[in-house]
Amino acid sequence: MNLKLFSERFRRNLFLFSMFFVFIVSAQAQKKVTGIVSSGGLPLPSANVVVKGTTVQTSTDIDGKFSLNAPSNATKLVVSFIGYATKEVTITDGEMKIELAEEGNNLEEVVINVGYGTQKKSVVTGSISKITAKDLEKVPNGRIETALQGRTSGVTIAMNSGQPGSAATVRVRGITTFDGKGGNNPIWVVDGIIVDSGGIGAINQSDIESLEVLKDAASLAIYGSRSASGVILITTKKGKKGKMTVSYNGFTGTSAPERTLDLLNATEYGALMNERYVNGGGTGDVPYPDLGALGKGTDWQKAIFNNSAKRFSHEISISGGNDVSNFYLSFGSQYQEGIVMTQISQYEKKNFRLNSNHKIKEWLNVGQTIGYTHQKNIGLGNTNSEYGGPLSSAINLDPTTPLVETDPILANGIAYNSPYVIRDGNGNPYGISNVVGQEMTNPLAYAQTRLGQFGWSDDFVGNVFAEIEPIKNLKIKSTLGSKLAYWGAEGFTPMFYLSATVNNTVLNNITRRNNKSFSWNIENTATYSRKYNEHSFSLLIGQGAYKENQIYTETSVTHSGLSTNDYNLASFNDPTVTQAHKLGYTFNGTPHILTSLFTRLTYDFKEKYLFTGTVRRDGSSRFGANKKYGVFPAFSAGWVISKEEFWKQNDYVDNLKLRFGYGVTGNDAIGDFGYLANIDGGRNYTLGDGTSVTPGSSPGRISNPDLQWEETTQTNFGFETKLFRDFNLTFDIYKKKTTGILRENPIPGYVGAEAPPYANIADMNNSGIEIELGYKHKFNDFNFSANANMSTLKNEVTYLGNNVTYFTGDGFQSMGPITRTEVGHAYSNFYGYQTAGVFQNQAEINAYTNSSGGLIQPNAVPGDFRWKDNNGDGTITADDKTFLGSPLPKLTFGFTINMDYKGFDFMAFAQGVSGNKIFQGLRRLDIANANYQTEALGRWNGEGTSNSYPRLTNNDTNGNFSNMSDFYLENGDYLRLKVVQFGYSLPSSVINKVGIQKVRLYVTAENLLTLTKYTGYDPEIGGDVFGIDRGYYPQARSFLFGASLQF
Amino acid sequence: MIQKIKFLTIAAVIGITAVSCSSDFLDVNPEGLPLEANYYQNEAEAKAGLISVYDMMRKNSGGFENMITMFNAGSDDQLAGGGSSSDGAGIQSFSNYTINTNTIPDSFWSDYYRGIYRANVLLTKLPAVPMDDAVRARFTAETKALRAYYYFNLVRMFKNVPLILTPLGTSEFYGVTQATPEAVYAQIELDLTEAIPDLPGTVTASTDGGRFTKGAAQSVLGKVYLYEGKNALAAAQFQEVNGTPGATNQYGNHLLTNYNDLWVVSNKFNTESILEVSHSSQNSYWGIWGGNADEGNTVNVMAGPRSYVKVDNLAPDLPSGWSFNVFTEDFHTFMQGDPRFDATILDLEALKQAGHADYIGGYQDTGYFLNKFIPRQSDVYSGGGDAVLNYHQNTYAIRLADTYLMEAEALGGTGARAQALLDAVRARVGLAAVPVSLNAIKDERRRELAGEGHRWFDLVRWGDAPTKLASRGFVAGKNEILPIPTRELQGTQLVQNPGYN
Repeated sequence: MNLKLFSERFRRNLFLFSMFFVFIVSAQAQKKVTGIVSSGGLPLPSANVVVKGTTVQTSTDIDGKFSLNAPSNATKLVVSFIGYATKEVTITDGEMKIELAEEGNNLEEVVINVGYGTQKKSVVTGSISKITAKDLEKVPNGRIETALQGRTSGVTIAMNSGQPGSAATVRVRGITTFDGKGGNNPIWVVDGIIVDSGGIGAINQSDIESLEVLKDAASLAIYGSRSASGVILITTKKGKKGKMTVSYNGFTGTSAPERTLDLLNATEYGALMNERYVNGGGTGDVPYPDLGALGKGTDWQKAIFNNSAKRFSHEISISGGNDVSNFYLSFGSQYQEGIVMTQISQYEKKNFRLNSNHKIKEWLNVGQTIGYTHQKNIGLGNTNSEYGGPLSSAINLDPTTPLVETDPILANGIAYNSPYVIRDGNGNPYGISNVVGQEMTNPLAYAQTRLGQFGWSDDFVGNVFAEIEPIKNLKIKSTLGSKLAYWGAEGFTPMFYLSATVNNTVLNNITRRNNKSFSWNIENTATYSRKYNEHSFSLLIGQGAYKENQIYTETSVTHSGLSTNDYNLASFNDPTVTQAHKLGYTFNGTPHILTSLFTRLTYDFKEKYLFTGTVRRDGSSRFGANKKYGVFPAFSAGWVISKEEFWKQNDYVDNLKLRFGYGVTGNDAIGDFGYLANIDGGRNYTLGDGTSVTPGSSPGRISNPDLQWEETTQTNFGFETKLFRDFNLTFDIYKKKTTGILRENPIPGYVGAEAPPYANIADMNNSGIEIELGYKHKFNDFNFSANANMSTLKNEVTYLGNNVTYFTGDGFQSMGPITRTEVGHAYSNFYGYQTAGVFQNQAEINAYTNSSGGLIQPNAVPGDFRWKDNNGDGTITADDKTFLGSPLPKLTFGFTINMDYKGFDFMAFAQGVSGNKIFQGLRRLDIANANYQTEALGRWNGEGTSNSYPRLTNNDTNGNFSNMSDFYLENGDYLRLKVVQFGYSLPSSVINKVGIQKVRLYVTAENLLTLTKYTGYDPEIGGDVFGIDRGYYPQARSFLFGASLQF
Repeated sequence: MIQKIKFLTIAAVIGITAVSCSSDFLDVNPEGLPLEANYYQNEAEAKAGLISVYDMMRKNSGGFENMITMFNAGSDDQLAGGGSSSDGAGIQSFSNYTINTNTIPDSFWSDYYRGIYRANVLLTKLPAVPMDDAVRARFTAETKALRAYYYFNLVRMFKNVPLILTPLGTSEFYGVTQATPEAVYAQIELDLTEAIPDLPGTVTASTDGGRFTKGAAQSVLGKVYLYEGKNALAAAQFQEVNGTPGATNQYGNHLLTNYNDLWVVSNKFNTESILEVSHSSQNSYWGIWGGNADEGNTVNVMAGPRSYVKVDNLAPDLPSGWSFNVFTEDFHTFMQGDPRFDATILDLEALKQAGHADYIGGYQDTGYFLNKFIPRQSDVYSGGGDAVLNYHQNTYAIRLADTYLMEAEALGGTGARAQALLDAVRARVGLAAVPVSLNAIKDERRRELAGEGHRWFDLVRWGDAPTKLASRGFVAGKNEILPIPTRELQGTQLVQNPGYN
């Protein structure tokens, strides 16, 4: 079935279905009730007033007044307004005076989702940060990780790419484990369903009621085996009792790059290439004898960047309910163009959600959530890679090659004689460089070869639950959740000729890949809560079973040799494709299964002495028979000092709560069957005439039946308080120790085994301080609030196994590894040589001697780097390499300011990091003729010219550029103004007359300004290891205009 | 209330059921994943095990870190080349003799040990496999011959290597020490001697080409003796293989009439081939490059010129490559007038000057490319994967001209038989006889086997390396063997080779 048609039909059906829930409402009458709703003495317009147990309702006018006819037997009103705590009041005669308290202002009103239940913030003993819908609504709709960035302490987030729709790397309280299988990603729990971090993009930002980040072990332990790297709980919106509300929020705008690099123009390029040539010992003619004729040349960046990439988002939600049922229904549509080669960089998302709850009996509640998301992603291909792609090509291509070759003699020359050369609309070939080869290609031509390539996904995530209260205070809840995901990719590779190196002149092909996965979980919990006098307690026991990827399949088909070379016409139905040119494969994945038992006791005395204890026992399919089960205990305690008798009520320090917690959490993020000794195929050899390969098999990984959980033990101390009435302060200090990190235990090569055994080796510590500070004050009509948060992080590897002191990490081109993880240092530190200036003359080289008088760098020439002889052995060898800084920020921070005056509001949100290094690897080392950034103009070219940028030469015998050194590292500090928004709400006196509750118009600037000294495009570089820039797709600066309506 | 109790009961039952079935629930069937404990149950599985041992033969010319390109780069006739001075730290540092424990690619050590591990596993399993005894004997012989060949490459590269003959248990990983080279050579001789009687004299090239034959094992044994200085034993083994110089030997081998035919890609397992490393196009791609399932020949793309453009028909039709292993000016001069010149050297500089072709000069560009391995446009694979990784030219580990010259060398470079052997190699390309001598043999090897990865080992064996490679930075007493990779020294009992600490 046509996918689009299917999704439309599906939506229509769901819409009808949802209507069913809407009309379970009735009505009767009659007595007149009047009143005035206010907050802090000021009238509240547009507040919702409902007669309890009925659908009779109204809104307050500009003066906060209301008037309605209630049924004669009605006794209570429910008054609510966004941002204020809902209040129930008894109906009285005459004009009622109803005062609403602002939510969040009062610590006690905030309710925190602690996993399998909620608690009042005032009695929570763990370290949990909460973000509400209100915090998110002003941030342009994007991926959830983005919305979290800079909002809470203890969470470091960096985008993986500026490609629209791309994911971000999220780390809660540092790097908890060594990565490889995603073990450092927090788990996301959406309405009780664990969704992997890749699938989280399917959740629509506006559908989120609240997000809670569980950070300390005492809070995390309830999620046991997979919680060590943090848990993020997402609660989607529910309908509220009362009038049906229809909301629209939408914006449209454009994006542009925040900055571009300063690259050499053709004349500068020619001059430096000549200099390289001469310095490298070249004789005879220099490559560019006539510099004057070169001019400015081609600006490749201008060709790839789009300064007016389009972007829009529309969302409509309908919600409402009565005493029996409530529902929340939403639709959204988003489209965003990338700023790099927009033709092949686009993202669109369409989503639908329906949540409903029904109180069938006094003792029986049932409900469901379902979200459907369709995404389509046209991707650039390489978004942070030095091996081709438009960004890397634009940076490295020489400016002397034309964008389009218009000179008829050259255009008909040998460089363009392939019939598959890509041409522009006028039939002129796109320029092909004759000096920069390898993967670097004309980006405009490259884009033409990728048309028709895109990825897509359709995700269904939902749950149903039933909750009964068989006896008072005992709630038994059963939840069944599931996720059904379909995703895949379509591609077409034409015959093309981009250069002598990058071409496909034999057969074109069309490919299709389809994936499907189905996961489910079931959880049963019983909660008994009682209050005896001043003692409150709540006991939770629960049981869960989780099957991830019960179904996981991938099927891929490629047809080659199509009769057309135009992606628009290419089809799998092409009858000319022969059977031999139809290739396909498929495979099944293996499920990941967990079973769990868990219990939690919370207790408080007078809400003054607080205690929580948790135990979870998990069994995982990923471990051998010896070690399938793990137990994760935790406890935390709190003391609200300010409730003690001796604590005098004062204006300076109020509501002071001390918290302490300790607990153990786990991680099973390794592949399946790591504990088994298996036989692997694929050890093939070609025998005979080479028409086929003979399959070979040999033992694979060495087994380890004792493989077990990796454990993280965390201690947390914190306090929360209110200072000077207007300030809220939360402080946490933690220490986290991960032991038995799951890792391939490196073995010497002479053992000869194909893969080393997985083992529980390596230990690592993380520690840090987190501070969240909020300020809120009302100056007559002027409301002002500000929030700031900051987190520090210190990471140290303490053990790597008996025979291992370090291991190396990511490599860069031909440099080899550029990071190293060593005991006593942070995980994955940059590692290389240290420079100590540039030799200005031969005398300096001769003066750089060792203890025996020999030259330390005998082969250096003036203009070469002086390398530090760190081990003091009198020569420069690999042993002189040292730690050069960490890609992980030492400090992460965020600031938000909100203010409003009458109808005007303003919001600014900034975020940043400090104390990290970025590896700036934009130029290809192995392409001698690659272009340079303009920093190269300040190179050493004679005594006294530069002491930091070495000479340019074709014969870099000193390894100035080919050695990993501090030369490539830059400070990664930045402060980015992520969102600035200015809005105006039309007076309700005007809009209420036409039945509209709210009209707000706004303008938003996203990524308006970034303060940084980093010389690449963007200092925010995510990925497994942060901070390696290989030609990173930068984030866009967007200007948006939007409107919110509510009626 | 009764209703509530009902619900409670149902809930409790659901809960208990879910919990009680949980132990089975956690068991996941390793679908399609054979376990070692259940494997090696029949001849087919034994064969798969044998093929996994053969798999490492591809090290000769498969993957970026292959024997041919690496050892060509270290010889006096060729340079590393490539894109820049940092294009492959291992090959560059070997070429300019700055190689050290960090730059030596691990794989030159560990790939052969992987082959040895697979051989050791198979030798422990074979006796118990229910199968035909004659087939078992042949499999055992092939496995031993392969293990010997891998140890020979290890010992001549690194000299001081551990001798491991059974799979190590996890507790033994770090207790291993290096064996003396004599012990390793003794084991190699033993393995080959035991293998030879059970190996077939010939195999059907179209289906079994590439498998060890008697002649192949004898050639390896002869070569081993030659490296050990056991010249008489070497000559005896080679005589078994060579037979009458210039004639067909007992296994049907003889020199090809036309030298150029040696480099025709389709000419696999020809009569001159003694031990051949086999490649094929199997949709190889970057993700598996140099790994077990990569069946392509990487020497091909490495030898090709960068950004090559053919201007007219006087230039060959070539795909582009990576410009490794360009010949030196000195070698170019040395080859002048030799009938093998064109098969060996493609002078692209001349073609470019004359306007017939264009290319971008790589690092250390001399314009003289290794024509034996430069792929032709017609060799470009059009199936799946990445075309540059799917060249399928086989390479010779040992060919008859090589064994002729090795026998002549083992004979001390004197005598009628040595003369006849040398003459046969020269006569094949139409060259007149020259008086046999060690020097004449050395010069002939240099021409005949140029670019095939032998020269560096020859220079070291002859003791000529310190003089011939002095200008490259070769240090006598150190650079005759390679440094042991860092990883092998971490936490182990291994001792670094002299001069590399």
